[in-house]
This record gives sequence, structure tokens and C-alpha cells, in this order.
Amino acid sequence: MSIRHHPDDATLVAYGAGSVNEGFSLLLAAHLERCPRCRRRVTETEVLGGELLETLEDSPLSGGGFDAVWARVCTEEQSPAPAAAPSQTTTPPTTDGLPSVLAAHLPGGLEDVRWRTLAPGIKQHVLRDVDSGNGSIRLLAIAPGTTIPQHGHGGSELTLVLKGSFMDQIGRFQAGDVADVDVGIHHQPVADTSETCICLIATDERLRFSDSLSRMLQPFFGI
Amino acid sequence: MEDSPSHDELIEWFSAVALRQDRRAFESLFNHFAPKIKRYLLRQGAPEHHAEELAQETMVQIWRKAHQYDPAKAVPGAWVYRVARNLRIDRLRRQRFYEVDLDQVAEQADEAQDHDRATDQIDGEQIRARVAALPPEQREIVNLAYFEGLSQSEIGARLGLPLGTVKSRLRLAFGKLRKALGEEV
Ligand SMILES: [Zn+2]
Repeated sequence: MSIRHHPDDATLVAYGAGSVNEGFSLLLAAHLERCPRCRRRVTETEVLGGELLETLEDSPLSGGGFDAVWARVCTEEQSPAPAAAPSQTTTPPTTDGLPSVLAAHLPGGLEDVRWRTLAPGIKQHVLRDVDSGNGSIRLLAIAPGTTIPQHGHGGSELTLVLKGSFMDQIGRFQAGDVADVDVGIHHQPVADTSETCICLIATDERLRFSDSLSRMLQPFFGI
Repeated sequence: MEDSPSHDELIEWFSAVALRQDRRAFESLFNHFAPKIKRYLLRQGAPEHHAEELAQETMVQIWRKAHQYDPAKAVPGAWVYRVARNLRIDRLRRQRFYEVDLDQVAEQADEAQDHDRATDQIDGEQIRARVAALPPEQREIVNLAYFEGLSQSEIGARLGLPLGTVKSRLRLAFGKLRKALGEEV
């Protein structure tokens, strides 16, 4: 597995800072599962977080302070011992090569997605159980040779290729690759092989389509 | 300001909590971290009483998860930061934050050489110096991301800067830190 395109460092810092929306964190975690390079960088953003925490002035705790915490720790002690606490991040194994953080949202895998046709050759499925604030997170299936309408971005957009590949002005993106595009960039990805390209796309603002035909698609995209 | 505990001291306290459920070591961790965590939560917009409560809860989680802490894989401050950050997103923003279980991934892929760096290679002093030396315009954006929880687009809107400028300043600031970590940028 060779990942060629990674999220921008600025995006990884935003992830480590915990300032990305839920959809971004899902997409980035899906990339991180496969990408040791970016995992290491995220670890570094957390080292930075730790150092920044050290620069903060103390806000002394009022009231019981430590005693209150100790009392809580002792009551919890009765039931599950600290050593038995389950990890929050435990992930189920995946079957069809889907990142496990994503598999949890697609119980039937990619075969079982309930697609909605947006335009000829383009289908989408919005992950409605992910809270993306003003943005969105969706799967897009792009038929071979199909071009996604030209669009600009009000904010940031991340695209993770799950299957197949696409090509845009920047290069060729294959499974595991992330395209990290921001405002002012107009890009026109095209599915460039005989296989349908399936991507996960997260935004933090609504997409803006630039020509009038594409604007007709706006209501469908801009959920 | 009292002296910050050294890296080794912090690791000692963590081990004492994890291995022996040592109350005094936990109290030392509390005295050092809880007031900073509370300030962090206040900066993130939590009202006073809520910040207090969540700072306490963060410490409870630190106690509970102490056995997961592996000094070979994470710096103590970074580990505490993660616990505080995740609780903050869960409770203040009421969103999920997706993370990768690093242990599991490492086992699956058998990437021993890609393990998160051993902490003895990290020079806290150096990083702190680099953070302190960041130009104000980079530091401001780093603070907005880490302490106000603003997304890049929100930072741009707040400061009246194009998104591209926000990103390049974050990138530059991070690049300087990575040099302190001995990375080829
Ligand atoms: Zn990567």
C-alpha cells in the first residue's frame, strides 16, 4: 500500500488541536489507520498540545479540589477496577478493506450503500449520523470517465479515496490518498479508470458550484 | 510560579498511579495538571462551575486510564492533553472525535519502526523554547486552534484572513516545532 497524497500539515494540526468537526475527524481517522507518516505527525501535534497546556496559567480549583476527585475515584473503585476500563478507541475488524472507523457507519459495507443519484454517473450517500455542523460528510460514487462538476469551496474540503481512483489538476488519487483542498481552488476530479471511484468527502462549509448547470445540483449537494 | 515537574518525575507519578494506585503520586499529578486543565476548559468557553467539574472529571479519567499510559510511546503532557481534549469535545461540543487505536494499528500492520517515537528523544525544553519563540501572528493562530477550538475557516473569519494564510501560518508554526523534535521537515 503506497499512500501518495496526505492531508496538509495545517489540517493535521487542526485535528490534533481538536478544532475540526466530527466529519473531518472521521475522515482523518480513516486515513490515519493506513498512514504511519500522518499518525506520527498527529502525535507531534499532541506533543505541541501538551506543551501549550504547560504555558497556561493555573486556574486553581475551588472547593474540595483533590478531595472531591479522590472521593470519586474511591467510589468508582468498588465496581470496575481501573485496569478493567475499556479503551474508547477499540475498533472492530473490517471485512472489505473499509477503514474500521467508517465501517461502523456502513454496517453492510460498500455493497450495501443506499445511493441516491445526483447526476448522470454520480451517486451520493450522506452520513447523516455524523454531526458536521455547517458542513457535511458523504460518500460519492463516480462512474468511470465521469467528471465532478467544477466547484469552489467556502471552507475546507477533504476527500479520501476508498476505492478506484480519480485524477485532478494536482494529480492521481488512489485508495488511501487524501485530497486537501481549500477556498479559491477550483478542481474537477475525474474518475480515470474502468472502476467506479468511491470517495468519502467532508466539508466544513457548503460547497459552491461555479457554473449555472452545476448550480442546479447545489440543492442536492448542499445538504 | 513554582517549578514544573521534570519529565522523569511525571513518568514516575504515572507509573505509581498505574501500578500501585498510589494516592500521593495522583495528588502530585492533580496539583500540576488540574489547574491547567481548568484554564484550558475556561478558554474553550466553559462556564466556571462547568470547567471545574470537567477538570475534575478529566483527572478521574486520567486515574482510570493510567494503566494505558506507556512512557515508551507518549510524552506525559501530550497524553494528559489528549484526555482533556477528548473530554472537552465530548462534553462542551457534544460531538464525537474519531481517533485511531494506535496499539491496534501497530499490531495489525507490524510497523515496529513506525511506532510513535520514544519519549527520551523528546526535548521538552527545546519545544517550549520554540513555542515561546513563535512570531506573534503564528502563535495567535495556534492558540485559536488549540484553546478556542476554532476551525481554520473560523479563524480566518475571526481575523479577517484568507483560509490559505491561516493554513500557511499553522504549517510554519508546526514546521518549527517539528525541527525541535528532530524531524526533517
Ligand atoms: Zn498520511
